[in-house]
Formats: sequence, structure tokens, C-alpha cells
Amino acid sequence: MQPSDFERHGFAAGMREGFVAFLPVSVGLIPWALVVGMAMTSAGFTPLQAMGMNIIVFAGTAQLGTLPLIVDNAPLWLIVTTGLALNLRFLIFSAGIAPGFRGIGTGWRWLCGHLLTDGSFAVCYDKLMQVDNPRWRLGFYLVTGVWTWLLWQTFTLAGIFAAGIVPKSWSLEFMATIALIVLLVPMAKARPMLVAAIVGGGSAVLLRSMPLRLGVVTAICLGIAAGFAAEHWQEKKTA
Amino acid sequence: MNYDASLWLIFILLGLATTLPRAGFIVLGNRFSLPPTLQRALRYAPAAALAAIVVPDVLLVGGSVEPINPKLAAAIAAILVATRWRNPWLPFIVGMAVLLGLKAIFPS
Repeated sequence: MQPSDFERHGFAAGMREGFVAFLPVSVGLIPWALVVGMAMTSAGFTPLQAMGMNIIVFAGTAQLGTLPLIVDNAPLWLIVTTGLALNLRFLIFSAGIAPGFRGIGTGWRWLCGHLLTDGSFAVCYDKLMQVDNPRWRLGFYLVTGVWTWLLWQTFTLAGIFAAGIVPKSWSLEFMATIALIVLLVPMAKARPMLVAAIVGGGSAVLLRSMPLRLGVVTAICLGIAAGFAAEHWQEKKTA
Repeated sequence: MNYDASLWLIFILLGLATTLPRAGFIVLGNRFSLPPTLQRALRYAPAAALAAIVVPDVLLVGGSVEPINPKLAAAIAAILVATRWRNPWLPFIVGMAVLLGLKAIFPS
């Protein structure tokens, strides 16, 4: 094979390898998508509204996390700020993985950015740093993003219709709370992360009577500060 | 429950609050990067935000702290299961079983 052929065919080769690497990881999306679909229906969304949110927002954690606020008629700024806080990890992923898109056009970068999820970041990071051929990298990354998108939309839709036939007394909306717990538990294994969660959760309860539900945002800030302080304290102790 | 058109405004703003953090640095490339200290601090935002939503949800009943309630018991069960086993379905099965079981035994 000529080097030029390799360049031309790099995209498909990248896609194949990306798919093989990503397939086992992507299975974990299925229960999560089902739960988000059910939660949106339990929140009173019509199937059209639920799929609208799913396609426009395309972020399970931010969708689930803001649902209770939307149901409660919370002010718009609080809903958006909470969504932003839940998405801040993507700012870090984006900054980390950005060098992996060297030599790739701006349009593709927007698409890749929109499709950035925890799973794609975890599977693609090393490859994107190591491989030189930009087409191969684009193929490898995009297949993980597009596959995530397809699985996500399909199984959320399944969840939306499953929730429609389940009686209200089954308290399906609690599945959303369990889903948030399932996300939180592995995070909180690191000590400073646990501190951030305890302080964030505890202050949200203590500050619940603050006006305009400012308590939630204040609690998130206190949690971040506490986690950061705990990290420094831990470093000093081990140093 | 019915929602008006403002629901779509919420979706669009939440969509921006998702795509901009995701795409920002990928689109900007090497022209701009976050200070490392800020990056480290921001790592705690998701855990703090998740807890700030979950804890009041399971600890409060009608606005006051209620340390003995079915939701809290179900949440603790889900945490224990998620800590011990990697099966993604188990926390949902056990958590919902505890919640519905307790609600059936102690109807409010």
C-alpha cells in the first residue's frame, strides 16, 4: 500500500478500530438511557418534548439533574446554572483531548465537541494523542460519538414508551435519583471527591430555605471549595 | 402536568450549556487553555452538584428533614449495592424494591 492510499483509507481503518474498542464500553449506556427516558416521562413530558430535550441537550447527567428543578418550576437561571455545573467536567475533558484534533477542520471539531461524552473521552484519549494520521483519528473518534448518539436516542425512546405503560404507583421517577447515585458512587471513592459530595449535599439541605433556590448553587460552590481544600490538605499530609 | 413553550427555551439553553463546554477547547485548539488550578478545582463540580440534588431529594419530606423515610432507605441500599457490585442494573432493582417494599408495608 502506498502512503497516499493509507492516508485516504485512514478514516475507515480508524472507524473500524474505534468501533471494536468502544462497543463493550457502550453497553453501559443502555440502562442509563432507559432511565433518562422514563424519568422525562415521569416528569410529565410528552414523547415529543422528551425527545426534543434528548436531542437538543444530549447529556444524561444534565438532563436528569435539572429535571427535578424543571418539575418544581425553578427559575430559568437556576436550571441553566445547575446544568452548567453538571457539565463542567466536559470543559476539562475538552481541554485535555483538544490536542488530539490537530490537523482537523473547524466544522468537524464542532461536531466532535458536540459528541464528546465520558465514554468517548475515556476510550479515545490515548489513541488521539499517539496516532499521527488526522483522518484515522477523526474516524476513530467519530465512530464512538455517533454510536453513542444512536444508542442514546434509541434506548431513551424505548424508556419513554416503557414509562408510559407503567402505573404511577410504581414511583418510576425515583429511578432518576438512583441513576444520579450510581454516577456519584464511583466518583466519591477518592477522598476529596467524597468531601465535595458531603459538603455539597449537606449544604443543599441546610440552605434549602434561601430565596430563589440560591441554596443549590451556593451548595455546589461550597462543595467545590471543600473538595479542593481537602485535596490540598491531603497533599500536605503525604508530602 | 403541562408545560408551555418556555420548556423549549430551557432545552435550548441547556443544550448550549452542554455543547459549549464540550466543544470549547476542541474548537479553539491550542489558542487558549484553562489555568491548571482552575482545572483541578472544577473537577469537584460534578460530584458537588450531583450531591446537592440527590441529598435534599432523599432526606427531605415536605420540606423538613426526615431521617427515617422510604426514599432514604432505598438510596442507602442503592449506594451499598453500587459500592459492592459492578452490575449496572442491580442498584435500580434493589433500590426500587426497597422503596416499593417499604411503601407497601408502611403506606403513608
